[in-house]
Parts: sequence; structure tokens; C-alpha cells
Amino acid sequence: MNNESVDGVKLALLSNRFEGISRKMGNTLMRTGRSGVLNIARDFSCCILTGKHELLAVAESLPIHVLSGPDIMAESMISFHSDIRRGDAFLHNSPYHGCSHPADHTILVPVIDDDGIHRYTVAAKAHQADIGNSIPTTYHGTARDVYEEGALIFPATKVQENYETNMDIVRMCRMRIRVPDQWWGDFLAMIGAARIGEREILELGNEVGWDNLEKFNEEWFNYSEQRMVTAIRNLPQGKASCRSTHDPIPGTPEEGITIKSSVTIDPKAAEITVDLLDNPDALPCGLNLSEACSRTAAMVGVFNSIDHSLPKNAGSFRRIKVLLKNNAVCGIPSHPTSCSAATTNVADRVTNPTQSAIAEIADGLGLAECGGIFTPGLGVISGIDPSNGKPYVNQIMLAFTGGAGGPEADCWQTICHVGNGGLCYYDSIELDELRHPLYVHSREFIKDTEGAGRYCGARSAYSEYGPIRGKMDVAYISDGSKNSAKGVRGGLHGTPSQHYKISRNGDRVELTNVGVVSLEVGERIVSMTTGGGGYGKPIERSPEMVLHDVNENYVSMKRAEEVYKVVFDELGSIDVSATEELRSTSAT
Amino acid sequence: MRFAVDTGGTFTDLIVEEDDGKLRMFKAATTPDDPIRGLMNTLESAALEYKIDLGELLSKGDLFIHGTTHAINAIVTGNTAKTAFLSTEGHRDILVFREGGRMEPFNFTVPFPEPYLPRALTFEVPGRILADGSEMTPLDEEKVIQIIDLLKEEQVESVAVCLLWSIVNSDHELRVGELLQKHLPDIPFTLSHALNPSLREYRRASSAAIDASLKPLMSEYMNNLNGRLRGAGFKGRVLIVTSQAGVMDAEDIADSPIHLINSGPSMAPVSGRYFAKVDEEFDSAVVTDTGGTTYDVSLVRKGGIPWTRETWIGEPYRGHMTGFPSVEVKSIGAGGGSIAWVDEGGMLHVGPQSAGAVPGPACYRQGGEKATVTDASLVLGHIDPVFFLGGEMELDLNSSKKVILEDVANPMGLTLEEASAAIISVATENMVQAIVDITVNQGIDPRETVLIGGGGAAGLNAVAIARRLGCYRAIIPEVGAALSAAGAMMSELTYQFRRTHFTTSEGFDYQGVNHLLENLRHSCNEFIENTGKGAIESKVEYFAEARYPEQVWEIEVPISSPNFENINDINKLVNEFHKTHEDLFAINDPESGIEIVGWTASVKCRIRDKEGGSLVSVNSQDMIEKEREAYFVNQGFLMSQVKRFESLELGEAVVGPAIIESPFTTVVIDPGAKAYRKVSGSLSIDPGVSYE
Repeated sequence: MNNESVDGVKLALLSNRFEGISRKMGNTLMRTGRSGVLNIARDFSCCILTGKHELLAVAESLPIHVLSGPDIMAESMISFHSDIRRGDAFLHNSPYHGCSHPADHTILVPVIDDDGIHRYTVAAKAHQADIGNSIPTTYHGTARDVYEEGALIFPATKVQENYETNMDIVRMCRMRIRVPDQWWGDFLAMIGAARIGEREILELGNEVGWDNLEKFNEEWFNYSEQRMVTAIRNLPQGKASCRSTHDPIPGTPEEGITIKSSVTIDPKAAEITVDLLDNPDALPCGLNLSEACSRTAAMVGVFNSIDHSLPKNAGSFRRIKVLLKNNAVCGIPSHPTSCSAATTNVADRVTNPTQSAIAEIADGLGLAECGGIFTPGLGVISGIDPSNGKPYVNQIMLAFTGGAGGPEADCWQTICHVGNGGLCYYDSIELDELRHPLYVHSREFIKDTEGAGRYCGARSAYSEYGPIRGKMDVAYISDGSKNSAKGVRGGLHGTPSQHYKISRNGDRVELTNVGVVSLEVGERIVSMTTGGGGYGKPIERSPEMVLHDVNENYVSMKRAEEVYKVVFDELGSIDVSATEELRSTSAT
Repeated sequence: MRFAVDTGGTFTDLIVEEDDGKLRMFKAATTPDDPIRGLMNTLESAALEYKIDLGELLSKGDLFIHGTTHAINAIVTGNTAKTAFLSTEGHRDILVFREGGRMEPFNFTVPFPEPYLPRALTFEVPGRILADGSEMTPLDEEKVIQIIDLLKEEQVESVAVCLLWSIVNSDHELRVGELLQKHLPDIPFTLSHALNPSLREYRRASSAAIDASLKPLMSEYMNNLNGRLRGAGFKGRVLIVTSQAGVMDAEDIADSPIHLINSGPSMAPVSGRYFAKVDEEFDSAVVTDTGGTTYDVSLVRKGGIPWTRETWIGEPYRGHMTGFPSVEVKSIGAGGGSIAWVDEGGMLHVGPQSAGAVPGPACYRQGGEKATVTDASLVLGHIDPVFFLGGEMELDLNSSKKVILEDVANPMGLTLEEASAAIISVATENMVQAIVDITVNQGIDPRETVLIGGGGAAGLNAVAIARRLGCYRAIIPEVGAALSAAGAMMSELTYQFRRTHFTTSEGFDYQGVNHLLENLRHSCNEFIENTGKGAIESKVEYFAEARYPEQVWEIEVPISSPNFENINDINKLVNEFHKTHEDLFAINDPESGIEIVGWTASVKCRIRDKEGGSLVSVNSQDMIEKEREAYFVNQGFLMSQVKRFESLELGEAVVGPAIIESPFTTVVIDPGAKAYRKVSGSLSIDPGVSYE
């Protein structure tokens, strides 16, 4: 792995080509997908694997989707099908064979050269609006097992041969999936994206030569590994453990689910180890993680914590060890454990303590905790619209925050949850009100709710909405009302989520963290999102940044003085000497 | 006589069209402190060329067409007006939340962006309209007057107003406008429904905010421009280039300056469309404009110029979406000044950092100490050091050699020439990827296009780009170095009128839609009679913004006849939608109905009776070299013939390896490629295949 042996020009050209192909797949899927979860939450991903099932290139995708998992899926495709040919395509959503969770339907296409040799596998994955679960949600958090969950499971099932779709499987899906047209639209979009990837790689192989590409694969992995080695050698040695607790829901212990992540940075060996062994066994609920999500959640915590420009592929992954236990809530699940909500809830509780532990190892590294997900601001609304008599059901992306403070900058407010990385779009209020019998009374940030720190975590966002005609049900499973996002290195916690129902006479009734709430016209639901944790002590925050927050009406002068120890004069400017004095007395 | 001036980041380009259709091209440095000075400088040099004084030259002109980056520069440098934002009560954070989304999901060094207008200057207006246009809560006028008092106290210079659902019932916004007019008479304001009547409050609010913040500055600029041109003797009409690839009168544009955001780059595809058609009879093209620091890509699809409402100022999700229709232009940090560097893992990168015009490439000897793309072209013998910009600036080959050896060749263990060729290859690949991104999004296969190379440095790798993409031809127009100014010369007076009105193919609202289309037609006719007075011909086109029921993004579909009588008319629209969807996305759903959200009428008035025009040869030094050594990948230095662009005979084939030079550009003809001069003056290159 010395630089002399690397052809830095070929490396630049071919890595750019492969990234371009995965991006083209991603753009195609994004533009052609039909369901809102794909278009709005950007809950999809595209990647390219080598013939040896190593992750080579990823389009900008949901972090929790792709770091680990596609490799295991591609391997299962080969182990189940000894004779693969050009023109084959496989449908995969089995969390027992590498998929993230059953809602993430994935199309795998092997790229076979003219001599019949399997050179690459391309994968296109998209979260479906419905997958035929026993209840109309793709996140069946309280399912005892995969049977109660109810999804059709496809462990690398061949759906195309010689570029022709096996309509038997399509008919099965159409009989089981509640929105068959949307599913079919997304299925076609995934096939289209994967076939574009296949076509482009075949062209590239013919242009450059397959052997040259194989050589490139190895050089690219070595290069990426070398970048990772250099990065880890520059980190301090250290070990830290952090815990993070998911709020209790039916099927979990009363105190919720506590996940422990122990991180070791070993600069000598140039390795980072995330140990998830000391964790509870799988639970009779849908929150258990798939192997893909257990690994990926830990790796997201690592990559969130170090130089963001490091390449993410099988080469850099050689330097991250994730230790998992069989049949744990965050390990390697065995059938029929349900992993229905594996990409979000407990996965967040793996990533958060991983990045916090790295922050505790040294200042300048890691990240505070991001807030939990699925407040009513991301609720599923349903009912019958009296104006046309038609039923409606849809998840709205009205309000979410949750971003964590970092070592160099304030949070990204709208991170959604740590596994989403902020890719999710915000709904337009006008568009939501046009599509549904919905009235959004307000949506705005709440003053004095930031996760205070040297660099701050996200504020809570307030949203208040209800039906404008007819009755409306709102379903949600909020994590973060009991266990808010923790700060690191002296940073304060984010604000926990809160939920209320407002009756016609204006009374406010607090709601539980999981529920389905029925609203009549004139009644409204209030959602306050979970904020994110702060990084470093609030008294280390630059007074100018505090002043800016005060001027912008995010932080009151009272809080500025109490929490950040910044003193203002009568004109509202910073009183420098009084601030210095207050800060020095507070520090001791 | 007509003048078209494009003020770019580095150069200000002028094209003069004489009454017989002959064109002349001039360039001067852009003067950012007072851009009109640079503009006047180009006119001065034209006067010098014609050997008359400036007043006499200007007095012959009947049209002055101007594209300018002044508006976008003001935003980027924070020199816009102190502007307040008035929104619906409960929704003050529309500009803060924007539409969510993020790039680089693992990058936590970039904090959440600040809103376009500060929250401290945001005020909530009580009153609420619903989706059907009904009033849920009346406007609280007393509260509005209190807000206006606060605006006075704050001494704001402009006001943007965006209330929810003003697009279906504008009463509240109009009333707020009246109150502003009455109580704050000297302060300009923008009402969102009047400027950009489109669904989605963030986009409309953002348009209004950007527009309002530019009003004081741009009215001053337009007054200044008018005054200085008139003062110098110009008596004709002053037209300004808009983001939508059209032109508007300078006075009108001062009232809605958001039209200026892409003024300039929007004209490149207008030129590109003309040359693709006249040179190779293609109606689809990839149009590129290579500058010193940026590489702009735009498209021509089946004779139309694709536009978008998702134009970002700054990076996607980190900047501000204009929400306003604009020609789609993808811009990346790549150009002659892009810096080549090797990372710690030994991989070569080119850009996005740039040496810009100052200090510029090392060979400029103006303090640049980094290896750039221009330095690489010089080392390879592609650029002639004594004939750069027609010999105006002598380049220093030794400086280029030194920086490339130090920064690239030595760290990578390559020879000087291998390193230089590698820099060009990586820069080429970056440009190719930018083209791939925009063509995928617009559903265009580059193999069914010609590549138009604009900008002085386009010819250095146009053949390489065309080969990678499989383009039929690479065309270097003779006016390519001033592609946008040339486009401005060919442009038409245009305006778009829009209305939001929701209906579906299943429950079609005949009366509502026909009434609305009638209104749109009326607006267009008014435009033709006033602004378009004296035009050679006028055209109105109608479009529907539609989608499949579950979709969240609309696409634009042409309406052949703007009157819906019966089911057949609706079926025509639905079929057109399926077809457009398939063109764009390669799939459609012919069984599905559609939803229509918005309606647009686009009016165009042609004001020029000619289409193109060819360049008059300018006097320049005589050719000395007839051939020189130039380096090509895998082939080393080859003796290459050197030709003068303007002296090529019609139809004469120039077979690579060859270099074709003019005072404005250098075109590299790789081995295997063949170039021909066209009647229009363009160079059309058959890229052929490489010998690798």
C-alpha cells in the first residue's frame, strides 16, 4: 500500500466514473419513484458492489441504508442461485439475509460480462408505502414476531429472467400490498435504475477492459483503506462507553431499551472497534435490528465522528470492527424475530452512543446525540374526505428537527433522525392542505429549546394541525419524550418531545408517546419535536453566537444569561467584561 | 445597429451587429466596483475599431441588449437591501425551514443555513385563507398598521409579503400592499402572488424575499445604465436579459429584479439552439460555457430550452431556492483556473478550488503558484504562449512547468507531460459528470445531441468531452467566446403568466379552467400590444403543470388548444402528459388519471428579422507557425498543424492532430478527429474515436 504503486490518475478517473453511475441510478430512481416516502423522505439508495460482494460506490443515500447490508444481500443472491445469467434480477427484503428491514424492497442485478463472468452487482433499494403488513404501517413497532408483522419476505427471489418479469410474483404482491399501483410504480423505477447501472457498467467494462476494472477495484479499496489508516493514526488512543435508551412502548421492558456502545480507537493498529456485545436479547416487538442495520448504525456513528471526506466503501470499512452478538436486539437476529422498524428507533440508539463515545474520547471528535423520531409532526393521517367520500392515508412530513451539535459547528436543525442524515424533505403546508382535508394552524421553532452547548443541538419545532372537514385519525410512535438527546463534553440535553390534543374549547390534554388520536373538526393535535444535544459547555459558546440567537428571537436574554453566562447592556450589546467575569466565576 | 453586452464574472463581452447583419466581437475586463464602466469600456473599444467617437457609434444603435451578473453578485456578497418579511401568523419560519433536505449526510462541519431574510425582521400577519380560497380568519388591519410602524422604526428599505394561499385568494396580500403603499409610500415591496403565483409557500416566499431585497439596488442600476447610455448618445431601446432566456425592458425589470438571477448564462442555450440547427440540423444540444472558474451546462431539448423552478443560489439545501422559473443551468467549479492537487492517498484532483482571474494560473505570472488546467494546456503545447488572447498576454511556460512538476508530476511519479495530460483528463471527466447529471434530470441522451462549446477555453477539451459522451459533433461557434452575448442578440421579448387552479382529469372544472385560460390569453395580448409593439411576429404557448395522483412534483405539459370543450380535449392533455412523462423519466402509467395544479401562458415577440450572423474578421498579427508539437495521451508529442480559425475555407477538413487558433480561442483537434468550417462560421468537429 505505498503510493508509488497507485495509479492516481486511473483512480481519479474510474472512481469518478463509478460514482457517476451510482449517481445516475439514484437520480433515475428519485425522478421515477411514485410513493411519497421515496420522493419526500428520500428513503432510497443505490450502490455498486464488486463480484466479490464488496461495496464499491454509493450514490448519496440515506446513511442507514447502505454502509453494510448490500454486501450480505449480494452474497445471499449468489448462495441461493448457483447459475446466474445476464438479464436476471432479484427482489430482496429479508432482514435475515442482509436487507435493512422488510419495508426496503431492493432490486439486485448481477452484471455479467460477455463471457458469462459475474463482475459486479448493482442494487436499488426503496422504502415502500406498504408491504402487506398485518396493519397499515411499514413500521410495525409492536409486532411480536415476523408473523404478526405480516410482511411478505423475499430472500433474493428471482423476479426477472432474460429481462422479463415473473408476473407470478407481481400478482402475489398485488394481492397483498395495500397500494399495489404505487408498489408497482416503485418496482418499475427500481428495475429501471438497476438496469441503467448494469448497462453503464457493461459499457465501461468493454471500454476499459474487465481486468483493468478488477485491478482498479483493489487499488480503490487500498487507497480508501490508506486514507482511513492515515486518519485513524492521527486520532488519540482511547476507549469509552455510552448508553442510550429508547422510550418504552408495548413489547419493551417498562424502562425502555438501553443500548450500550463501547468504542475503542487504536491508532497503532489504525482501527476503530465498536463493541455492541453487552446488549439485551431480541425482544418480542418490531424494534429489533437486522444485521445490516446493527452494523450500519455503528458505522454511521463512526463516520459521523471523523473526517467526512473519507471514502465510504469496503476498503475504508476494513478499519472498522463492529462486534455483534447473535439474537440480540442490536445484533444478528434469527427468524422469526421481527425487525420491522430496524432502520429508525433502536438503530438511532446504536448510532447516538457510538458518536457520543467518540466525543468523550477527545474534544474535537464525535457528535452529540440526535433526537428521536416519529412525533405527530411525522404522523400518519387517515380518514374519509367528505368532499369526495374517498378514504385517505398518508404520512405527513410536517415537522422534525433533532440535529446534534458537533465539534466544529452548530447542528443541522432538520436531521429527522440520525440514520436519515437530514435528507428528508419538509412538506409544503399548501401542498398538504391541498392533498388532504387538513388545516395546519402553525409550524415554527420554539424559543429556548436548543440543546445548549459550545455548539448547539437542534431546537424543538412546534406544529399544530387538525381536520378541516370530517374526522381524522393521527397515528405516531414517538421516541424521545422520556429519553431526550444527550449532550456531550458538558453540552446540555435537547428538549424532549411533547404531544397534546387541543379541544374545541381550547383545553390541552397531554398525549402518550404511542397512539392513534381521533380528531373532529375544530380539534387539533400539537407536536413538539425532540431537539438535539449540545457539544461542549454552554459557557464556551462564543458570545457573538449567543447574541445572534437572541437577536433572532431563538434564545431569551434570560436564558442567555442563565445558561450561556452572557451579559448584555441596556442597548442589547454584549457587556464584554461582565460576561468574562460571570463566565470565570461560573467555570469554578 | 444593435449592441449586446454580457457582463460576466471576469470578462464583459460585446457583440455589435451592423445593419447588414455582420457581427463584431469585443472583450474587456469586468469592473466589479462599477460594472457599467466595464460595459462602457467595451463600447469604447468598438468605437476605436470603427474609428468613430463613442457618441456617433451609440447614436446609430436602435437596440441595446444587456445581460448582467450584478443581481446575483449583490446576493452573494450580501449587498442587498435591508428587507422585512411579512408572513401568515403561526408561520414565521417559512424561510428558515425551507423544504428540508441536505447534501453530504456525513458532513457535520456545515451548520444549518441562515434564512434569506432575518427572523428579527419577520412579522406575523393575523388572517388566514384556506386551500379553497375561503377566508377562515379575517385580516387584522390594525395589526398590519402596527407592523408597518415597526418597519419604519427599523428603517427597512424593502418589504416582501407572502401569505398562505394568496394564490387562490389574493385579497389579504393586496390589502397589505395597499396599507404599505399608504403608510410607507417610499419603500418598495413585493407581493408573492403577483410575482410568482405558484403553489408551495417556501418557493413563493423565497421569490418574493429575493425580489424585494434587490429592488432598491437594481432600480438604481437600471437608472444609472439608462442615464449613462443616453448621456453618451444612445437613443434606442434598452432591453435586459432574463433568467427565462428572454428580454424585458429595463424599466420593467426594475419592478421585478428576480428575473435577473440567471441573466447572462440563460442566453447560452439560445445561441446553442441556433448553431445546433444551422450547423448540423440537430434540435437537441448540450451547451457548455467554460469560464475561468466555472463550467456552465445548459440544454436544448427538441428545440425547447428546459427550465426549472429549483434554481439554487449557493449550494443545494445550503443556499436559497429562488422558486422562480429559470433556464436550467448546472454550474460546477471547473475551468482554466481550476487547481490540480494530489491527496494524501496519491489520487489526483482538479478543482473545485480555482486560482480565478487573480492571481490566475502560474503562467500569468501574477502571483499564481498553483498548477492549473491552463498551465497543463500550455505544457502540452495546446496553447501557444505568444498567441494567448491574440497575443494580448504572453504566458510563461517555465512557470507552468515548475508548478506542475512540484504539485503533480513529482508526487505521482509521472513525467511532466503525463501529469499535464492527467490534469486535462480529470478536468474533462468532472465536466462530463456535470453534463451527465443535468441530462439525466431532463431525460436527454447525450448521444442524440451535439455539443456546443462556448467560452474561450471550450476548444481545449471539447473533442474529449464529445467522445466520452458519444455526441454526434462538437461545435465551436465563431462567437463561442461570447456565447451569451450572441444569444442576447438572437433573443425575443418574453413573459410568462401563471395561475394556480387545482383540478383533475376525472372531475375536470371546464368553466373554471376556460375562464382562467381566457384571462391568460388577455394578459398575453396586452403584452403583445404594449411591450411587443412593432415586433416582427408574436407567439403564445400554453402549458399545464400536472402530475400523477400520488406524485409530489409536477411536470410541464404543452396544451395544443387553450379551450376545453369536452372529454376529447381532456384526453389530449392526458395523453400529452403520459408522453412527456415517458420522455423525461423513461416510464409512464397510461391507465392513471392526472392532477393539474397550475396553468401557464408564455408569450414571445420576435424583434429581429435575421437569425444568426457571421463574424467580421478582425485584424490580428499574421500567422508565423504552421505547425508545432502538441502532446496527446498515449501518443506523446505529435507534430500538429496549426491553423487560423478565421482563415479556414468553407468545407475544408482539418484532420487531427491539429490546433485551430483565433484571438479568442484555441481548439484542439485530437488524432482521429476531423474539423470542418461551416457557413455560419462555426467549426464543427467529428470527434471520431481515440487511438488508445
